[in-house]
Amino acid sequence: MEYAIFLGCNIPNRLPHIELAVRKILPEFDVELKDIDGFGCCPDPIGIQALSHEAWATIAARNIAVAEEQGLDILTLCMGCYESLKTINYEIKHDPKLKAMVNQNLSKIGKEIKGNIKVIGILELLYRDIGVDKISSKVIKPLSNLKVAAHYGCHALKPAYIIQFDDPSNPVSLDELINATGAKSMPYINKNLCCGTGISGIDEKSQLSMIREKFTQIIRTNLDCIVTLCPLCYIQLEMGQMLVNKTFGENIKIPVFHYAELLALAMGIEEKELGFKYHRVKVKPILEMLAI
Amino acid sequence: MVQQLSNEFRDEILAIAHVGPTLSYCYQCGTCSGGCPSFRFTGKFNPRKIIEDVLLGFKEELLNDPVIWLCCVCHECLEHCPQGVLVSELLMKIREIASKIGNIPQNFRIEVETLYNTGQINPKNPAIDRRRVQMGLKEAPSAPVEDYKKIIEITGLIKYMPEKKEAE
Repeated sequence: MEYAIFLGCNIPNRLPHIELAVRKILPEFDVELKDIDGFGCCPDPIGIQALSHEAWATIAARNIAVAEEQGLDILTLCMGCYESLKTINYEIKHDPKLKAMVNQNLSKIGKEIKGNIKVIGILELLYRDIGVDKISSKVIKPLSNLKVAAHYGCHALKPAYIIQFDDPSNPVSLDELINATGAKSMPYINKNLCCGTGISGIDEKSQLSMIREKFTQIIRTNLDCIVTLCPLCYIQLEMGQMLVNKTFGENIKIPVFHYAELLALAMGIEEKELGFKYHRVKVKPILEMLAI
Repeated sequence: MVQQLSNEFRDEILAIAHVGPTLSYCYQCGTCSGGCPSFRFTGKFNPRKIIEDVLLGFKEELLNDPVIWLCCVCHECLEHCPQGVLVSELLMKIREIASKIGNIPQNFRIEVETLYNTGQINPKNPAIDRRRVQMGLKEAPSAPVEDYKKIIEITGLIKYMPEKKEAE
């Protein structure tokens, strides 16, 4: 399996330890990641789309066109990029007028979208294309006794008519992937609650109340850590703990992992080879508990 | 004050390809608001009410109201609407129309400016690039800024950059 890897901006420029873990695990499953030149912002499916669908579509189509020139499908790591690129790849196939308008704009920078590649996300790749069995087979240090709060991220699953993967109301993919590491994904109230990133710059207090509610339920259920695949959720759920503590006088410290980091540990990759020291909420208690 | 109703506004939304026609199936059950995390935590953002405003034609009130920007875009409403109304996508279109009359949160204006200047929203920076190299990763890629400038100009997104103070 060979993909043009679409890093987005949050992972390479804020959370490179996530990229590090992804680049360590995927080659173990015969996934070849091609770094190609010419990608830029996806762009943001919340802000830019709301201001101008035409600009959003044109910029997203430009990124898809760059991969088409190389004849490669796109693998996105960020769920925001996933939503933007997958939606436009869908819309240009279903709306010839939109495709014509986008190509009219792209012709001014010497590009054209054809609509002949796929855009897939890392959750789809891990669960559907690699599969839980193959992942389990690479686990040499099962993360036994670790109780995990899975957080999918809205854009990993919705809108379902475009994403067409798993069930947005009762998803199972990330839970099964977590269980494949030997850890146990546990049910908790508000599991599907949004991280609120879409309003974090507009009504911060409400957004913090939203994640505070999520943290409260995770603590109440006595879970050890949060695991997600979306960098924006990761930022809200990790940095957000500090803001919640400051704003509401709480003392919440729930370690947050990207799934690739969790899997890397289970696959026996040394802790030193991963970027845990860059976590804002210290993960040491978890590493000690797992005796890694 | 007597409110001005605008059937044209409803018709304008209905005419939007793919998304618009779903508006007419709304029977105001409120499932969208019931599952909306923003309604639950802001207490102000009410998608059912926004759809009602469109159906009844309260154009001016709705388009000038900053509350329309409190949607998290989680698409929970769209998934659960029993009538198949593409609620969150309709909200996106309403915000696009509101942008044209200047109802835009400042953080999104700044986003446009950053996108124009760097081709990214969280641009690469030297401190993280040093960290990347220490980790054994390559420096983060740069975006093709000139292409971004051109697209932002020709699509008109440029007019949403932060408002500059008038020159003295």
